[in-house]
Amino acid sequence: MSVEITAGGKPFIHKHSAHCESGVTSALLRDKGVEISEPMIFGIGSGIFFGHLPFVKMAGVTISTFRSQPGAVFRKSAKRLGCKFITARFRNPQKGMDALRRVLQTGQIVGLTTNIYWLSYFPNRFRFQFNGHNVVVLHEIENGFRLSDPMLESPVDCPAEDLERARFAHGPLESHGFMYYPQSVVLAPDLRRACIEGMKDTCNMMLRIPLPIFGIRGMRFLAKKVIKSPDKLGFQGACRELSSIVRMQEEVGTGGAGFRYMYAAFLQEAAELFGSDDLALLSAKMTAIGDIWREFAIVSARIIKQRGQSEVTFDKAGGLMMICAGREEELFRSLRSVVGKLKA
Amino acid sequence: MKANEVPQDITYYEGKKRACYALNDEGKYVIVPSSGWDVEAVVNGLAVDEMAASLEVTRQAVLAGSKSPLCYHMELRQMTPEILAKTAGITKFRLKRHLRPEVFAKLETSVLDRYARAMAVTREELKTVPT
Repeated sequence: MSVEITAGGKPFIHKHSAHCESGVTSALLRDKGVEISEPMIFGIGSGIFFGHLPFVKMAGVTISTFRSQPGAVFRKSAKRLGCKFITARFRNPQKGMDALRRVLQTGQIVGLTTNIYWLSYFPNRFRFQFNGHNVVVLHEIENGFRLSDPMLESPVDCPAEDLERARFAHGPLESHGFMYYPQSVVLAPDLRRACIEGMKDTCNMMLRIPLPIFGIRGMRFLAKKVIKSPDKLGFQGACRELSSIVRMQEEVGTGGAGFRYMYAAFLQEAAELFGSDDLALLSAKMTAIGDIWREFAIVSARIIKQRGQSEVTFDKAGGLMMICAGREEELFRSLRSVVGKLKA
Repeated sequence: MKANEVPQDITYYEGKKRACYALNDEGKYVIVPSSGWDVEAVVNGLAVDEMAASLEVTRQAVLAGSKSPLCYHMELRQMTPEILAKTAGITKFRLKRHLRPEVFAKLETSVLDRYARAMAVTREELKTVPT
């Protein structure tokens, strides 16, 4: 945690967060005097999810995701907390940068959606073409901007040229220089109602999407695919697919175990808010599920490292994922019935 | 995961730390900065090594004269022809022709500049690959 001064002369507290989008939303609201923690935003915005997209390939491997689509957490949580945000996209990069400078001069901090490859302050091995990383711009400095990237421990400087490239990068999920900042906030939002809405939405997304690739069904689908993968793709190909799952689970700023720990933190906070022992119990269960996901990651890494020489096999990894699917199905079903009884 | 179980294996994030959620002694969730986890190093290493290996193959192909340097720089920036074409404002069909060395050699400087700007390299760098 460190304190910065924004262009408006107000102190800005930078908090280290696990996930960029929930961290940025939380920071923008904190700047307006609404103190809501990152896991709370994540839960209210229904951030937790699972999906496997067999037909979308990035760098030759299919994509699995442990979160809802980029932008959803911000959009949903703002709506549920009754906050109005001003959002803008631009066709012309120059106009986009001018608009950013104008807003910064009024003393307002701004959230941006960027491409992580062009943000040069990241370690090289984490820079890949992904157009969904969120940062907060604090103020303009000479030849650049002061950024608060929630994934880092402290604010950083970023050259203006890099930021322009990052904002207007092309490719899948193009952000078109997307920028957002609060117009009006509710100082004492109805957290209880927002939490209930968020949890209900999450349960629906995990349990009731009638497609085999999303939610719990997606997990089962992927687990079966992992077990079969060495026969279908060969050992190398199977390793590549497996490593991409683990990367999505651990590497891309999830707070550990593909957001499962962060959701457990949300459930814990919600349990205090409602004084509900049921939610506290569910939080503990979620932590246990997270531990199984971590084990899945360890097993996968062992398979990849030992190149098929060890006793751990793809069956074991797929089996662990199957266990996760079963446990999560149980959890979200009981969460659904617990939420039904909660009063806003 | 407990706070004392948060992996601090290696300084793998190049000095930076990543936030992990873990339980403290009282069973409350807190943020614990992690300096790196072996497991991540393995899976990330696989992807990074693979990318480096395929980049090296392309570099050799450019030196052998079967691909144009544009191909190398595109791969270095982890771009696909679709992304680069959009960034440089050149149709994909034209771009794919420019991946052939004999076509690339005849390109006008204005076209080269557009590629150079799209990939943040100089025009001279674009014409060569590191040896």
